[in-house]
Amino acid sequence: MSAAVTVRDLRKAYREVEAVAGVSFAVERGEVFGLLGPNGAGKTTTLECLLGLRTPDAGVLELGGVDLRRHPSAARRKIGAVLQSTLLPERITVREAVRLFAALYPDPVPPAELMERFGLAAVAGTRFEGLSGGERQRLALALAFAGRPEVLVLDEPTAGLDPVVRAGLHEEIRRARADGCAVVLSTHYLEEAEALCDRLAILVRGRILAEGAPRALLTAVEERHRLDLEASGPVPEAWSHEIAALERGRCTGNRLLAYTRRPAEAVAELARRLRAAELEVVALSVRQVSLEEAFLRLTDAGAAAGEDAP
Amino acid sequence: MKAWWVQVDVALRLHFRNRMALFYGYLFPLIFLVAFWVLYRHESVPLLRHIGELLTVSVLGGACFGLPTTLVGERERGVWRRYRLSPLPLWAMLAAAVAARGVLLFSAGALQWGVAVLAGMTAPEHPWALMIAFLAVCFAFIGLGLLIAQLANNVPAVQALGQCVFLPMLIIGGVAVKLASLPEWAQHVSAFFPGRYAVEAIQGAVTGEGFAEIGFPLAALGGMGVAAGLAAAGLFPCDTPQKVEWRRRTLWLVPVLAGWLAVGAWAERAGRALVPPIGVVIEPAAAAPAAPVLPEPPWARITAADIAGLNYQVPPDRGVVAPFAGDQEEPDEYTAQELETVRRALYSWRPAFEGDDIQRVRNLLYVAAVPDSVQLPVERHLPPLVLRYLTDMYPEDKLVRILTYIALHPEEGGVIVNLGDLGLEAAVGDPWTVRERAYFYAIKFVARLTGRPAG
Repeated sequence: MSAAVTVRDLRKAYREVEAVAGVSFAVERGEVFGLLGPNGAGKTTTLECLLGLRTPDAGVLELGGVDLRRHPSAARRKIGAVLQSTLLPERITVREAVRLFAALYPDPVPPAELMERFGLAAVAGTRFEGLSGGERQRLALALAFAGRPEVLVLDEPTAGLDPVVRAGLHEEIRRARADGCAVVLSTHYLEEAEALCDRLAILVRGRILAEGAPRALLTAVEERHRLDLEASGPVPEAWSHEIAALERGRCTGNRLLAYTRRPAEAVAELARRLRAAELEVVALSVRQVSLEEAFLRLTDAGAAAGEDAP
Repeated sequence: MKAWWVQVDVALRLHFRNRMALFYGYLFPLIFLVAFWVLYRHESVPLLRHIGELLTVSVLGGACFGLPTTLVGERERGVWRRYRLSPLPLWAMLAAAVAARGVLLFSAGALQWGVAVLAGMTAPEHPWALMIAFLAVCFAFIGLGLLIAQLANNVPAVQALGQCVFLPMLIIGGVAVKLASLPEWAQHVSAFFPGRYAVEAIQGAVTGEGFAEIGFPLAALGGMGVAAGLAAAGLFPCDTPQKVEWRRRTLWLVPVLAGWLAVGAWAERAGRALVPPIGVVIEPAAAAPAAPVLPEPPWARITAADIAGLNYQVPPDRGVVAPFAGDQEEPDEYTAQELETVRRALYSWRPAFEGDDIQRVRNLLYVAAVPDSVQLPVERHLPPLVLRYLTDMYPEDKLVRILTYIALHPEEGGVIVNLGDLGLEAAVGDPWTVRERAYFYAIKFVARLTGRPAG
């Protein structure tokens, strides 16, 4: 049985700029797949190609085995989408919008049921221009679900929303996954990706730099622990490179910040040197790097930020 | 199909919630209608001869401004991007928008027609031809509107492009200004614009010979509509035109321009570009055959009751239509010279020596009517000159009867639309207006000769 979403060697260039340079991934039914990357990484272009909004220069795009480029209408029947900025006509009411989009699909969810499910029944007669940001996003999600999609494509769906509304949308995405829907999600919120996604791909300059489960991605980062020491007096600068277990260490006054692959060895060596130097430990923390740190480490942005970090 | 109807339904609902759209779609054409009524309310059948222009303005506004403004406004908001994600093909969505616009144009046209009927306008001569003509006009202008929607990046650009189409068609395209009043170069130019054919098609169906007369305008509108529609379709897949290269866009203008050029060239070749040339006497229409030859001249049968029964409620002497200079009004120096030129030329002007008395008087009435129809500065001083000429030529009783006969049969006989032979270079009127003004002057002359008040 083919995957719900198959993207193979996708390429798209705007003049000389190669926005997507050979991206491949597959998403199974009941799986949430996240695309992460800095601005301009090619996330939105990838999703727009997947939605048929842009014509790729090369590559294969399949939805449930249906070639999107050859059979766009058949493929689109399987898709529900929330774009980065979905706006509807100002004067259309919620009821009309839901009715309109439901009518576009062969076997739609009844409009009343959609409005009830997404908490829109109370604003059914309200025009789009009168909806709050959260209501608009709930409406966008309701429209995405109108055609009972097999694949849900969400381009930064929670950007700019308050935490309560965001939590509600997360619940709907989990529910879609539980119903067997394949979800492709792009987001800037790393905690969102970590909480929602079964798998992640980190996209940089149009290429997938790393792909896997959020936890697995962390293991891709060699320096998996971050060490932060605050002593009672100045920490000698030499320690940051003399201690073999420390990497990319930096001493600033009484503090030492470093990454390490051997935390126990690093802490033992530091303790020995502190005793010898008659320094007390004011604070010491050793923790696994977060997804955000892993993301920054893997991307160019991370490299730039790393110059400021230890 | 259900989705399509829902689209049409929602598009119509949204339109009727938009006050500006209602203003431009319905009220604006009615303002035009009222303006035309004020100008031409004294015509025998108010507005009937101008309904082609009025309906054309309505369709032009709705199709070339209303439709692209809606489409581009929605596209700017990302609505069409969202529509593209649905399984319904984009062309079907666009067809729904066009169908909704068609409903709006027909309703606006019907409203305009209804108000015109309330103002005294009569039913069209050929209602089916009118329906087809209106459909063809909608088709041509909606094609143009779609093209504007595809070329414009944003709503202000729609307004700019729309004006580029709207104003030339109004002014030199035969839509708001009668072609006969335009110089020859403008008449040639108008042959390349669809506005002219829109007016001709509708007017031909309303007051002309119906399908027998409007074949060419219908074909021209069809061709121009297809050309614009093809170009719009070629651009259509790009719903974000700011990212479309300019070269590609301009390339899609080629079929449109080719269509317009082909129609214009066709009109030129068929000798249709110019309205009847200078000095030509137009024979009466087949529907109004010349009076049969009788043992006694037709005017001789005019009775006192006929004279008394004339409608003396004609435009006032000091107004814009059929003005008449009072005895105390002295022309300025230039006008006086012009009057003298005309007076001298009349003695050798062939139409003033026409064998038939009625046609001769009619021809002399045109000397006052043509300058009035194009509002030359000399217009109000020519009627007294013509009346003096006529009273010198005929006994009063005979002249009153001839004038009464002409007033009772305004469509009969030939019409002169150009007075270049009399030294009035810019005096070229359109036949309908000239006949109408001659009718007013015939009544005014009778009123003066019989001591009745008029106006």
